[in-house]
Amino acid sequence: MSFEQTALPWLDDVYRFARSLTMDDAEADDVVQETFLRAFRSWGTFVPGSDCRRWLFTICRNAFLRGRERERHHGREVALEDGDAEALAGVRLHAQMQRSGEDRLIARLDLAPALARALGELQEPFRSVVVLVDVEEQSYEAAAAILGVPVGTVRSRLFRGRRLLQERLLLYAYDAGLAPTPPVTTPVTTPGSAGPA
Amino acid sequence: MPDPLLDCAAAMRLLWDYLDGELTAEREAQVRDHLAVCARCYPHYEFEKLFLDALAETRSVAGVGAPAELRPKVLAALRSAGL
Repeated sequence: MSFEQTALPWLDDVYRFARSLTMDDAEADDVVQETFLRAFRSWGTFVPGSDCRRWLFTICRNAFLRGRERERHHGREVALEDGDAEALAGVRLHAQMQRSGEDRLIARLDLAPALARALGELQEPFRSVVVLVDVEEQSYEAAAAILGVPVGTVRSRLFRGRRLLQERLLLYAYDAGLAPTPPVTTPVTTPGSAGPA
Repeated sequence: MPDPLLDCAAAMRLLWDYLDGELTAEREAQVRDHLAVCARCYPHYEFEKLFLDALAETRSVAGVGAPAELRPKVLAALRSAGL
């Protein structure tokens, strides 16, 4: 199959991913154009029948990184990220919300628009992994390949990203007058640095 | 032989993996069996599933596609490159 038949149908998906990375329409346009140009020039390396969307996402991510030198640092950090600890921290957050009744407050929000807003405010390296897995439905393995990190790092960043989103939802509920007091949120620390248990 | 029953901590460590469909069939069955009988853990599963379903819906909130003017730009660039 040709490049036009195989790769171009994914333009909308690639744009959506680029937009989530750049958070800027003009920059997303540039990233998408660069992605498809690079994909076209590398078409001979694409394995027919393999996951073209995943291949394009990888090229898109690399195109984005070329314009964001500081983001490369996140891509190389792998130490001290513990997916199991992040999973349990998420459960503790929900248990805390249950005790305070805040979980019912979140249920009163119009969740999808609130989450779209929260996702736009979520910082890297968490945003790209949440977008890939939770919005673009990539597996942990596919997200790891696209981002150039181990699966364990995907897992850890994904779980923490989800927890940060839930804390953001609580802030929105407070701002909307649904909660009497502002919730306590987790200080965001960069991967590899000392952080809350 | 490993104990087929998970305790709450073990099940909750695997909750996200379970919801993401990332577990082996055996592990998935163990988590499912735990959730079926644990009144403490099941609400966590319900809440996180609601959360993930809403997160997936943001795809339609954000808009489904590229701006109309982007496709012709991409095609023009590709044609200049020899498409």
